[in-house]
Amino acid sequence: MAETSREIPKPLPEITPVTQPFWEAAANGKLVMQHCSDCQSWVWCPRPACVECGSEKLQWTQVSGRGKVFAFTVIREVVGRALRGFAKDIPYVTAWIDLEEGPRICSNVVGCPIEKVAIGMAVDVVFEEAGPGIFLPKFKPRL
Amino acid sequence: MSLRGKAAIVGIGETPADRLGGKPGDPRKITSQYLAWAVRLALEDAGLTKKDLDGQGLAAIYTTNHSQPFWPEEVAALLGITPAVSLAGGNGGASAVSLLGQAAAMIKAGLVDLVLCLAAAAPFSEHGRDRMEPVDTRDFEMPFGVMGPNCKISFVMSRYMHESGMTTDHFGKIAVTARYHATLNPNAYLRKALTLEEYKNGRLISDPIRLYDCVMPANGGKAYIMASPERARTLRKPPVYLLGWGERNNASAGPRFQANPLITGIRESGRAAFEMAGVSHNDIDFLGLYDDYVPIIMLQIEDLGFCGKNDREFFEKTDFTFKGDLPIQTGGGIINCGQPSTTGGMVHVIEAVRQLRGEGGARQVPDAKIGLVTGLGAVNYGKNFGCTAAAILGNSETVR
Repeated sequence: MAETSREIPKPLPEITPVTQPFWEAAANGKLVMQHCSDCQSWVWCPRPACVECGSEKLQWTQVSGRGKVFAFTVIREVVGRALRGFAKDIPYVTAWIDLEEGPRICSNVVGCPIEKVAIGMAVDVVFEEAGPGIFLPKFKPRL
Repeated sequence: MSLRGKAAIVGIGETPADRLGGKPGDPRKITSQYLAWAVRLALEDAGLTKKDLDGQGLAAIYTTNHSQPFWPEEVAALLGITPAVSLAGGNGGASAVSLLGQAAAMIKAGLVDLVLCLAAAAPFSEHGRDRMEPVDTRDFEMPFGVMGPNCKISFVMSRYMHESGMTTDHFGKIAVTARYHATLNPNAYLRKALTLEEYKNGRLISDPIRLYDCVMPANGGKAYIMASPERARTLRKPPVYLLGWGERNNASAGPRFQANPLITGIRESGRAAFEMAGVSHNDIDFLGLYDDYVPIIMLQIEDLGFCGKNDREFFEKTDFTFKGDLPIQTGGGIINCGQPSTTGGMVHVIEAVRQLRGEGGARQVPDAKIGLVTGLGAVNYGKNFGCTAAAILGNSETVR
């Protein structure tokens, strides 16, 4: 539709050598994070080396995608030019999700009325296509 | 290295905050004009001239959408001064407090005996460049519609309410107190009294953050001048000494992949400042806590050790007004003075100098000798502030 083509685009991640494995896995429906082979720490967001011990021996490792809402907000206003593309989605929920394995990921809670979202709510990852080949890990309430 | 008493603030300059350029037909004033204005005011206050700054220190703070990579040199060129040392403030809203320590270290080392520290921004009349975002923000927050600090501090506030049981009554008390002080400060921008009801009825911006939880962008310029104690004693105004100082950046309470977002780096930077100053909590006459959002004021009071974590009763019982038990935000804070980007970090330094000189007017803290100020900058992914700094300042009596 003509209207769709004039839509204000949303910002997309820039794929870098450090983040490429994450986005490739996401496109295949898998949530992966770096795990340090030396100190056994999880590393998130993606890094060139372990932020705990400095080791470059980081292994991309699949995580369960199961977690709980640690904190959340309802976005009610657009702030800044770069994010105008989200105006049509307002109100929507952004949240910090604590994964069962430990890392905390920033994402959206989807597939749920905003008034039902609560701290401690159990959620599972789902992938939504945001651009060509870019799939964002989002979270929906566990049934 | 202790910096206690090794440098003093000798001049302050602050332009009135405004929002010119926000409406069609407004007169337009750009960043360099606010800079020059703030510097003139600081020089007049100190009894110095522009020529005194040649061969001395310059500390220029980067602002969000304007500064290019050689910003301190651009500032020197705009003002026509020839620094012997140039520093850049790259810690966002923490820069003004961070540079207090860096400037004092240069002075103590004998490299210079004056440092001009300055910042200005004109977001309403000058759009500047599109900002570069940190990679975590660009790749893992913005694609999900994270609306900058409003959203990220909402996460912190949501969790804080969940863990502490704080309500809009607690946050509202802080907001109302800060605004009360602003009504007594001719330099504040929001000077109409705010009631608790008005606070509670403020519209939700990013739940649970409401309108009066948020700082307001503004145009403006601010500056301070530091000097060696010897030089300070020859100048116009009573020196305000740096007694203690600490900085902690990228602090993480717990593992970095799952930090406690309710503990800020102020816990460490504040502890370092107290140790250097050699003073205790009872010696502190007032606090000026970096306040882009109301809940952050409360987390800092906890992290500085004035109460325990999640201590609702403390916040209910304490009188935070300028005549009270623990005066905070005595000039109204950044929330009521306006935030010209990172220049906002200057607000508490300038107010502390006024208080310690006895220039607090209708909001003067009685017999104020020692004040503590903080700065915060950059909200990191999954945590709170990346940059934190704390400084304890005192009048001449405190260094005898």
